[in-house]
Amino acid sequence: MVETHDDNPALFDDDENDHRAVYIFNPSPQNATSPQQEKSRPTKRRKVTGGGGSGSKRVATGGGHAEEEAHDAPMKAAAFPQLFDGKESAEAAGLRKKVFDTAWPVLDGRIKNVLRGANRTTLEDVSSFIRDAEGDATRGTRIPAGFIIIGPNIASQDLLFEQLSEALGKATQARFVRLRAAGAPNLKAALKKVIRDATAQVSVEGDGDEDDTEVAFGRDGRKYLDYDLEGLHAFLGAQQNSSRRVIVAFEDSEAFESSLLTDLLALFHSWQGRIQFSVLFGIATSVELFQARLLKSTARQLFGAKFDVVQADLVLDNVFKSAIAGTHATLRLGPNLLRSLLERQRDQVAGIRVFISSIKYAYMCHFYANPLSVLLADEKSLTRQLLQPEHIQAVRTLDSFKSHVEASVDARQLNHAQSLVEDDSYLVKQMVEQRQKKQDYLLQLLRSLHLLTSMNLIPGRFTDLYVSALSGGLDLTPTIDAIKRLGADDVPLLINRLLLAIQTGSPDLDLPGWEDSAEDLTTSLTEIRDEIEALVLQAREKGQQSLKSKISAQSKVLRTTVVAQKVQLSQDTAKLTDEDKAFGKAIDALVDLLTQNIYSPAIDSLFLHEAWAYDSMAPYRDVFVPRPGTAFERALTRPGGYLGCECCCGKGKAGGGQNGTRTLSATQPTTCILYQLYLETGSLVNVADLWSAYYALVGEDSRDTGGLGLGEREALVRFYRGLAELRLMGFVKQSKKKADHVAKVKWLL
Amino acid sequence: MGDSLFQLPDELLFTTLSQTFPCRDVQIRAVATLLHPHAAPCQNLVIHGTEATGKSAITAALLQALQEDTEKDEPLLRYVIVNSVECITARHLYESTIAKVAEALQWQGAAPRCDSVSQMVVELSKMLKYPSYPDNFRFVLVFDGIDRQREAPITLLPALARLSEIIPRITSVFIVTSPPASFLRTSFVPCIEFPNYTKNEFVTILNTTSLPTTPLPTTTMQETTELWSRFTGAVHDALARAASRTLPSLQHACTSLWPRFTAPILAGTHAPREFSKLMVAARVHFQDESLLDPGIVAIQSYSSSSLAQATDKTVALASAPPSQANTPRKAQSTTNTPSKPKPANPFVTATTTDLSTLLPPTARLLLLASYLASHNPTRHDLVLFSTFHHGRRKRRGGLSVGMGRGGHRGAQSKHRKIARKLLGAHAFVLERMLAIFTAVRGEWDPKWLDKDVNGREMDADIEMAIATLASLRLLVRVGGAAAGGVAGDQMDRGGKWRCNVGWEVVRGLGRSMGVEVEEWLTE
Repeated sequence: MVETHDDNPALFDDDENDHRAVYIFNPSPQNATSPQQEKSRPTKRRKVTGGGGSGSKRVATGGGHAEEEAHDAPMKAAAFPQLFDGKESAEAAGLRKKVFDTAWPVLDGRIKNVLRGANRTTLEDVSSFIRDAEGDATRGTRIPAGFIIIGPNIASQDLLFEQLSEALGKATQARFVRLRAAGAPNLKAALKKVIRDATAQVSVEGDGDEDDTEVAFGRDGRKYLDYDLEGLHAFLGAQQNSSRRVIVAFEDSEAFESSLLTDLLALFHSWQGRIQFSVLFGIATSVELFQARLLKSTARQLFGAKFDVVQADLVLDNVFKSAIAGTHATLRLGPNLLRSLLERQRDQVAGIRVFISSIKYAYMCHFYANPLSVLLADEKSLTRQLLQPEHIQAVRTLDSFKSHVEASVDARQLNHAQSLVEDDSYLVKQMVEQRQKKQDYLLQLLRSLHLLTSMNLIPGRFTDLYVSALSGGLDLTPTIDAIKRLGADDVPLLINRLLLAIQTGSPDLDLPGWEDSAEDLTTSLTEIRDEIEALVLQAREKGQQSLKSKISAQSKVLRTTVVAQKVQLSQDTAKLTDEDKAFGKAIDALVDLLTQNIYSPAIDSLFLHEAWAYDSMAPYRDVFVPRPGTAFERALTRPGGYLGCECCCGKGKAGGGQNGTRTLSATQPTTCILYQLYLETGSLVNVADLWSAYYALVGEDSRDTGGLGLGEREALVRFYRGLAELRLMGFVKQSKKKADHVAKVKWLL
Repeated sequence: MGDSLFQLPDELLFTTLSQTFPCRDVQIRAVATLLHPHAAPCQNLVIHGTEATGKSAITAALLQALQEDTEKDEPLLRYVIVNSVECITARHLYESTIAKVAEALQWQGAAPRCDSVSQMVVELSKMLKYPSYPDNFRFVLVFDGIDRQREAPITLLPALARLSEIIPRITSVFIVTSPPASFLRTSFVPCIEFPNYTKNEFVTILNTTSLPTTPLPTTTMQETTELWSRFTGAVHDALARAASRTLPSLQHACTSLWPRFTAPILAGTHAPREFSKLMVAARVHFQDESLLDPGIVAIQSYSSSSLAQATDKTVALASAPPSQANTPRKAQSTTNTPSKPKPANPFVTATTTDLSTLLPPTARLLLLASYLASHNPTRHDLVLFSTFHHGRRKRRGGLSVGMGRGGHRGAQSKHRKIARKLLGAHAFVLERMLAIFTAVRGEWDPKWLDKDVNGREMDADIEMAIATLASLRLLVRVGGAAAGGVAGDQMDRGGKWRCNVGWEVVRGLGRSMGVEVEEWLTE
């Protein structure tokens, strides 16, 4: 055990290896001196970087680089590494970094705005409650207590409490103290924090710092204990301009000991006449559960009100709209990644913070590891010289290039296809053109989505709609069915909504109105609306109740067909008046118009989408949802994959060919051998049995070792060490049931 | 004044006090006699009684009155009150006592530090023993709630009781809930009990203190007063005898019942004289449990109910500037997104604070699994969760099975103990809960139906869910570091845990996921 501890820091403190996902054990044959080791490392490193960067883009965005990005960022903040096996020019790499540096802060600011805006209602409610509680006659001497239902994601509510402290400080002139369970383990510590924070806030704001400290620690020569609220009282009394209010916020109230809460509240209650305490509780579960943990006498001291925070769903929608779908987003996240991100938000305890950092991580990965991301730079900085032959070659290896060329061959544009493959400058021209096409695509996508959502016909969230539009193109059929089922009165309203949507655009998406560019659409829509309205009037004059279209009429027929199917059907279609028919035509025209205008192909159908869309799951999952159990299991069952030494891999294949790769061999590390043996045991493991099994494998008598087995002393040392490592990793633990046995603890991965 | 040896304080003093504190005449006179410098000042005095019987309030008011009463030309009585609730440690008690005494005597230069009782005695002697005071000068030290002092040494109370032996001018008053026999370790300490009020006293007090000030419409003040006194008697009979024995809770019950009780009078269905009819009509309200246990939420869902009211108030109080003008960022965001505040409000009101809507599915599943692990004995796990033979679980526990085969299991039923559901939650090993989780996840969550292999993995999301549940105290770690070999790691699979939610919550959670948890519990 001691030895492993000594080894580990040496291994992991090393900067060179720090960034890797796994530590690759690579003993140099001549590890006599340390300078030699240091010399060998840089070469190895370059080799690995080059290996990952060469070839197609998919390799380049793979996990290895993602890992490097996360850890290397502070280390070499100067520039991104040069990709293409180091052949990428420094300018291109610098440009990638520059694009990232400009793209992310814009988004970050917008997200913060959305988050701050989301809590506005709650903030106003809480501040008005705290203010009003002052004069509330029914309160008596009870402490005003706000219970803010914040949901189980305590970490993501940091912003809310920050805002609360700002808003309440302004609205009520009160000191705001934030308490977290971890920072306040007992009464004294909690009080110390309350007093320190409440007094500190003013000394920052106030003009004379020295006066403040003097007041805090002694008026008429008296020094207050640092947990004595008397000190706070004296301090507040000395402040002329401010009220004697202190607001204490328990951020994660469930995590506090109930006895501590009881004590604190009793204390606050007893001071209530002199210092006006108000408390806020961040509640993750429910007020009822929280109340059940308090004493009844404590509960009587509280004058509470419940506040709800805007649902996480809604916040997520807004963040999604502004950060992912909005026009400001430089990089598009692909449908697969988005789907898993959204699913994780829905199913797991992952707050909005995780979502935001996932987006940021995607940005980082894309610009760090994809050389083609340089194409996202603006036109001024992206010059022809910057595009190296490697860039051109990389474009030609893309899947979208292949499908684009194949499509043009199918469309008999053979010259175009040939030039794409052979002529570099033609390809560059095409690449530049694609930038405009990308803009058009995005605009079309967002406009279509905006129109669809503003029609309000089909239920469904914007996020789902967006993801499905990206993955398979927009599916209009449910909307069209809904339109066809609409009555004559509703259609003009629908058209009005559409017109309004075109006129105003969507501020959430940063989509300006596009009335100018959509004159055809607006005029046709207006015509249809006028026509239908006229038809309705006409029908009224004739005494007809409502207009029927083909679909609504047919649905009525189906009910009456029980008696005589054929007759009824023909009768009913005959019943359609001229106005009905005209209405049906108008609806058809509307549907045609909408299908012409609302469309969006899938994102991967676009040429060169790899440069501006990021859809790779592996780096995200590796970083945000690691699976330590699987990693341990993999390392222990197949150590050869990590060690890369001849003895384990080679011998494993040669010797255990018929048994598969999972064979025991004496040359494997002790822990791995023990783990294999461990897998075969029951819930209680006899250590003596384990030892004999192990010694039979590695000892001198073993056939496996070919007579080169270990001596008993050395084998025993290794055995103990291996067992200790297993214990450290949480596989076994000491058993009290039987002497000389260990209990098997871990069954699942 | 000094010529007569025994002289009771002025009668006027008692009248004013007994007006503020009705039905406590005997106690007030007794305490006054024992504290007044000219009457029979004693060395130690114990005042005891249950909650809300007026001990502290009367002592404070009486001392204040006595101090003013005796203040002729020179001070004869000074007092301080030290509230033990406000003293965090014994040292805190000593220091605040000295500081308060110094303040009462306007003494300069009291020691800032005081670590022990003996040091306190020295400091008090400096202030009280050696300087000269007029004859008969008394100093009263009141230790309020001294029996609840935190971190008190065992010798604290005897030491405080001996203060007056060292400094004869001091009278120490101990206000406690119920004094054990000779808890001050000194002979002869007068004790004055403040007993709980009787029914008549309750009614009298409620009549004087919380009488409705305005008469009910359509009745005279006389009728209202009579109705109120009969009503308070009825409330006392219904509630006070059994449950709410203190004055404040009875007062709360009366004031919150009164509007409901008088509703028929307002509606005009009953006259104020028809008391029995009113009682019958209000019987339902008397069964309301929230009268006894008002709970911590005084204003239900502040945001929704008082939204209109709040906006009115914001206009009235001109509070719009702090919320909008002072925060330019927020104002900007509102101009950017004019449509957002509107949809936000209905969502806020629509939010239910149920656990099932708050927790994401994975956390809910984990909570259910841990409930099962806590309430099912380990030996039935194989029967309940194994899918080895049948592909699907066949046998189910639960009441339905037990009743179905009632005849067959008749012999066993004699040995049946208390239902496990009624017992508290048992501790389980984390690994077992995770195994149950993986087993039931495949069965309950449609997403996992086809993923048998992947389901065995524990990824970081699951561990995060466990950590969240633990931080919400829905799952509680039992035993701490002693249980696991590795010191107290939360993710140690050998650690022991307990499910901390009740049956009702779990049933609701299960139904929110389409699972009847009862079917998965063995008896």
